[in-house]
Amino acid sequence: MLSKLEFVLRRLLSSIFVLIGVSIITFFLSRVVPTNAAALYIGPKARPEDIERVSKQLGLDQSLPVQYAIYMRDLLHGDLGTSIGTKRPVLTEIIDRAPASLELLFTGMFLAALIGVPLGVLSARWQGKPLDVAARTISIFGVSMPAFYLGLLLQILFFRNLHWLPLAGRVSTDLRFTNPIEPITNFLILDALLTRNWVALKDAVIHIVLPALTLAAYPIGLIARMTRAAMLEVLEQDYIRTARAYGIKDVIITYLYALKNAISPTLTVIGLTVAFALTGTFFVEIIFNWPGLGLFTVRSLLNVDYPAIMGMTLFGATAYVIINLIVDLLQAWIDPRISLK
Amino acid sequence: MNKKSLLYIFLMVAALILSSCGPAATSTPAATQPSAATQPPAATEAPVVPKVLKIANTATFTTWDPVKSFSTEAAYMGNMYEQLLRINPPGSAEKFTPLLAERWESNADGTVWTFYLRPNVKFHDGEPLTAEAVKMSIEAAQDHGGASFIWWMVDSIEVVDDLTVKFNLSTSAPIDLIASSLYGAWIVSPKALEAAAADPNYFEAGLEAGTGPYMLESYKADQEIVFTRFDDYWGGWQSGQFDKVLVVIVGEAVTQQQMLEGGEVDLVTRMPVENYATFKDNPDYNYYEEPTFFNYVGFFNTLRPPLDNPAVRQALSYAIPYQDIITVGVNGLGTQSRGPVPQGVWPWSDQVNQYTYDLEMARTLLAAAGYPDGGFSLKLTYASENDVEAAFAPLIKDSFAQIGVDVTIEPMLWSQQWALSKSDPANAQDMFLLLYWPTYSDAGSDNLWSMFYYTKKPFFNLSYWNDPTFNALVDEAIAKTVTDPATSQAKYIEAMNLLVDQAPGLFFMDVTYTYVIPKYIEGFEYNLNYPFTQYFFYQLSTTR
Amino acid sequence: MTAIPALSVEPELQSTRTFRHVLSVIVRDPLSLASTIVIVLFILIAIFAYQVAPYPAEGAGRTNVANTMLAPSAEHILGADRLGRDMLSRVIMGARPALIVPIGVVIFAVLIGAPLGAIAGYKGGWVDEVIMRITDLFLAFPSLLLAMAITSALGRGLQNAAIALIISWWPWYTRLVRGVTISLRERYFVEAAQAIGVRDSVIILRHILPNTISPILVQATVDLGTVILAMGGLAFLGLGTQPPAPDWGLMVSEGRNYILHQWWISTFSGLAIFIVVLAFNLLGDTLRDIFDPRQYR
Repeated sequence: MLSKLEFVLRRLLSSIFVLIGVSIITFFLSRVVPTNAAALYIGPKARPEDIERVSKQLGLDQSLPVQYAIYMRDLLHGDLGTSIGTKRPVLTEIIDRAPASLELLFTGMFLAALIGVPLGVLSARWQGKPLDVAARTISIFGVSMPAFYLGLLLQILFFRNLHWLPLAGRVSTDLRFTNPIEPITNFLILDALLTRNWVALKDAVIHIVLPALTLAAYPIGLIARMTRAAMLEVLEQDYIRTARAYGIKDVIITYLYALKNAISPTLTVIGLTVAFALTGTFFVEIIFNWPGLGLFTVRSLLNVDYPAIMGMTLFGATAYVIINLIVDLLQAWIDPRISLK
Repeated sequence: MNKKSLLYIFLMVAALILSSCGPAATSTPAATQPSAATQPPAATEAPVVPKVLKIANTATFTTWDPVKSFSTEAAYMGNMYEQLLRINPPGSAEKFTPLLAERWESNADGTVWTFYLRPNVKFHDGEPLTAEAVKMSIEAAQDHGGASFIWWMVDSIEVVDDLTVKFNLSTSAPIDLIASSLYGAWIVSPKALEAAAADPNYFEAGLEAGTGPYMLESYKADQEIVFTRFDDYWGGWQSGQFDKVLVVIVGEAVTQQQMLEGGEVDLVTRMPVENYATFKDNPDYNYYEEPTFFNYVGFFNTLRPPLDNPAVRQALSYAIPYQDIITVGVNGLGTQSRGPVPQGVWPWSDQVNQYTYDLEMARTLLAAAGYPDGGFSLKLTYASENDVEAAFAPLIKDSFAQIGVDVTIEPMLWSQQWALSKSDPANAQDMFLLLYWPTYSDAGSDNLWSMFYYTKKPFFNLSYWNDPTFNALVDEAIAKTVTDPATSQAKYIEAMNLLVDQAPGLFFMDVTYTYVIPKYIEGFEYNLNYPFTQYFFYQLSTTR
Repeated sequence: MTAIPALSVEPELQSTRTFRHVLSVIVRDPLSLASTIVIVLFILIAIFAYQVAPYPAEGAGRTNVANTMLAPSAEHILGADRLGRDMLSRVIMGARPALIVPIGVVIFAVLIGAPLGAIAGYKGGWVDEVIMRITDLFLAFPSLLLAMAITSALGRGLQNAAIALIISWWPWYTRLVRGVTISLRERYFVEAAQAIGVRDSVIILRHILPNTISPILVQATVDLGTVILAMGGLAFLGLGTQPPAPDWGLMVSEGRNYILHQWWISTFSGLAIFIVVLAFNLLGDTLRDIFDPRQYR
C-alpha cells in the first residue's frame, strides 16, 4: 500500500512542477508577442495617446519578471486575467464556455468508445474476414482524415444534400422562445432530460450528431485499431486456448476473458485520444459554430488576445496533465504489474 | 529519496500554495446568470405571443460602455441608446430626425448651439432625461470616449434649465451633425455614468442604461443577445412591431446564408458576396443595393524614395486595375472612388478627378521620372482579417510587376499593421491598404483631415504627407462649414483635386452593400450614415 | 526488435539487409505498395511543381480575374478559385508547404530529439534528469495546442508554423530514443565496448543510434501523417501559410464560404491532405508490423 501511495505522491508532485513549468512557458510565449496589445484593446481607430494610456493600465510597461510575478500571484487567487477581446475575466469565459465543449467532448468520446471498441473486438474475433477488412478501413480512414475537412463533407452531405441534419449551432434559434431549456447544468442534453423537455432534447441531439461524429472520427480509428491489436494478442494466450479446448462458448471467451485483459492498453489509448479531442474541438467548433472553448481559443489566437491565450493554454495543459495522471493511476490500480518506478 | 521526505516535500508545497490563497480579491461575476441592471420601470403586460425578430450578425461587443464604444457594437448601441438627433439618409426631405432633442438652433457663426430636450423621457433604469444627463454624457465622451476627438471644439456645456442644453464652442462647427454621430454621442443615464466613473469596468458585465426603444434582456458572450422592448419608450408602440429581438452571433458568412434560407433567422448582416445575386430575383425577398460610406484607400509612404516623387506616385496610380479590384474584391459591388471622400457624404463632388487603368501612361511617367523599367520594390501591408484586401492585394502586385515594380505582400493583424505604421514612419511599409469610414457624416473634417492633413504624430495620415497648400485649404473649408457651405465645398474640391494630383494615396473604391430582406419584414429603411447599425429594430415590423 | 549485432558487425550492413527486407515486404503487399507509390509521386510532384503544374504562375499566386470561380472544365480540370487561379496548379504547388515542409519538420525534430534522447539514456544521472524534465515539460502540452500558441506568439506564417511544429514534436523522439537506449545500454556488447575503452561518443554513434533507426523510422512515418494534419490545421485556422501563397489547409479555409455552389475550391485540397496522410499511415502500419508487431504506440 505504501508503495502505491509513494507512486501517487510522486506523480502528483511531478505534475505540480510540470504545471509550474507550463505556466512559465505560456507566460513567456505570450510576452514574446510582437503586437501592440493596447491597440487591440481599444479598437480600430485608436489614437497614440490612448494606446499609451491603456498600455499603462494593462501593466505592459513593467519588466518581465515583475509581470510574471504579478501573473502568478493573480493565478493563485483564481484570476486568469481579463480577455482583451471581451473585456471579461478569462476565468468567466472558461466557465461559461466549458459546458458546451465538455458536452461535445463527452458525446464524441462516448460515440468513439461505443463504435470503436466493438469494432476492434469484432475485428479481432473475425480476423482476416471481410468484417475485419471493413473495420480496418474505417479505422485508418478515421485516423487519416483532417477534422476540418470531414466536418465540411458531413455538412455538405447531411445538410445541403440530404436535409437530414442542421448545419451548425447547439440548438435552433427558435427553441429559446418555443421550448426554452432551463439551464441547470448548461449541458443542454442533460438539462432537457432532467426537465422532460422532449422537443428541446430532440433538437439538441440532432444538433450534436455531426460535430460529435466529426470529433469522434480520429478516436474511433485509434481505439478500434488498438483494441483489435490488444485483443489479437490476448486471444493467442494459453488460457484462451485452454478455455476453447474445454468448449466454453466462443462468445463468452471473446468478450469476458479477452476483453478484460485488453482493457489496460485500451485505457492508455483512450487517454491518448483525449489529447487529440482537446485540440480537435478547435476545428469542430469552428466549422459548426459551436460556442465552446475551442472557438474562443481560436479567436483569441487569431486576435493575439494574450490573456485569453495564456488562460486557455494553461487550462488545456492542466487538463491534459490531469487526464494523463488519472490514466496512469488507473493503470496502476488495474494492473499491479505496471511499473511503479 | 525516501518516502518520508517525499511526503514532507509534498505537504510543504501544498501548504505554500494554500497559504497564498486569501479571500478572492475580485469576485468573478455569476457566470451563467444574465445580468440586466435595468428593469422596466413599470410591470409590463406580457404580450400573448411575443413577436421575435431574429438576426444573424457578425458583430460582437468590444465594449459595453457607450462612452468608450468605437467599434462594431454600434450595431446594438443604436438600438439601446439614442443621440440628441439622428441624421437622415441623403435625399430625405428633412436633414435630421429629432430624437432626444425636439429642436435646436445655433447662433449666426455657429459657435453656440442650444438644444431643447424632449420632455418626459425616461432611461431604462428609471432616471429622467435632463439637460444634466446630456451634459454628463457628452463630457464623459470628451474625457475618455473612443471618439472623444469629435468634441474637440466644445469649450463648455451649460445646463440652462432642466430641458435646455447649451454648447459653447471655441470655433464654428456643425454640432448638429456631430451630435448625430454613431460614436461618442449617446446619452447615458447619470446613475450609470456615476457608477462607471467609480468602476471603469462597470458596463462590461453586460449592462446598459439608455433611452432607446429596446433594452437588454440577456447576453451570452459571442453567442447571442436578446433585446426586449422598452414599454415606456417615448415613441410609443404599434402593432406589428417586435417585442423581442434575438441576435445570434455567427462569424461565418456562409452559415448566415444557410440560416436565412432555412428560416432560422429573419435578417442577416453578411453573406458571401458571390451569393447575393441568387437573391435578386427571388420573389420571397426584397433586394437592395446601397452605397455606403466605407471606402478602400491606400497610402504611399511619401518619406521613402522613390515614393517621395509625385511623378512616381502618379505613375503607380495609373497602374492600379480599378475595375478588377472591384470585380474580385467585392464581386462588383462598388464604384471607383473620387478621392478619399465616399459618394453620398459631404463634401463629395463629381468634380474630383480619378485615374484610369493605363499601363502605357504608367510606364511613360515612370520613365520620365527616371525609372524607365521600374526597378524598385515596395512592401505592401494589409489587415489579414479583411478578406477583401486579401483578395485584391495580389492584383496590385501582378499589375505593378508588369511595369517592373516588385511588390511584396505582407498581411498582418490590423493592430500590428497599425503599430508598424506608427512606429518608425521612415522605415515602415511602402504601401498601406485601409478600409475607412468617417465617424460621423462629415468626410471633410474626418477623412480629408484625418488621412492627409499633416500632424506631428500621424493619426491616419499614413502617407506621412505634409503639404501646406492642402492643409490651408482644409483648414479654411472646415472653418466655413457652418457659416458658408458654398465656399467650404469649393475649397474642399480644390483640396481633393490637389490630393488626387499629388497622389500621396490611392483611392480604390466606395463600397456598396446589399441587403436581403424577406418580404414579410416591413419598414426597413437604409441609412448610409449608420453603417454599423444595419437594422434599427424599432423601424421594423412583421406581417406574419 | 531487430537482431542485436555482435561487436564486430558493422551496423551499416545490418541496416542494408533490413532495408532490402522492408522493400520486399512492401512490394508484396498491395496497400503498402500503393501507399509508397503515392507518397513518392506526391513528393516528386512537389519538387517539380513548376514543371508539372499547367499554370505555375497562378499556382504560386498570380491572379487571373477573368476566370473567377470557374467550374471544372477541360482547360481547368479542377476549376478555378475566387481570384481565377487554376485549382490544379494550386493543389500541385500547395504540396510544397503541405507535404515537403512537414517532412522537413519531422527530420529536424528527429535530428534534435534523437541525439538528446540517446545522451539522456546513455549517461543517466543528472544529465538524464535534466533532459527528461525538459522533455516532460514540453510533452505536458497537447502538441497541436503548443504549436498553435507558439505560432501565435511568433507571428503567423509558414516559417513560424514550421518552427512551432519542430519545437512541439522533438520531445517525442527524445523519449523514444531514450527508451531504446536504456534497453540497449544493458547489453553485453556495450559493456564490452566500454571495457575495452571505446569512447562514449563512439559507442553512441556507432552502436546505439543505428539501432534506433527502425523505431524512429516507424514513429516518423506515422508522425508524418500527424504533422501534415497539424500543418494543414494551422493553415486552415490562418496561423500557417499566408495568402496568396498556396497551401492545402489554407485553400480549404478559403473555399469554405463557397462550399454550396463552388465546392471545388475546398474539396480537392482537403482530399489531397487525406490521401497523403492515409498513405503515410498505411506505410507506417506495414513498417510497424515488420519491426515491432507488439508495439502499440
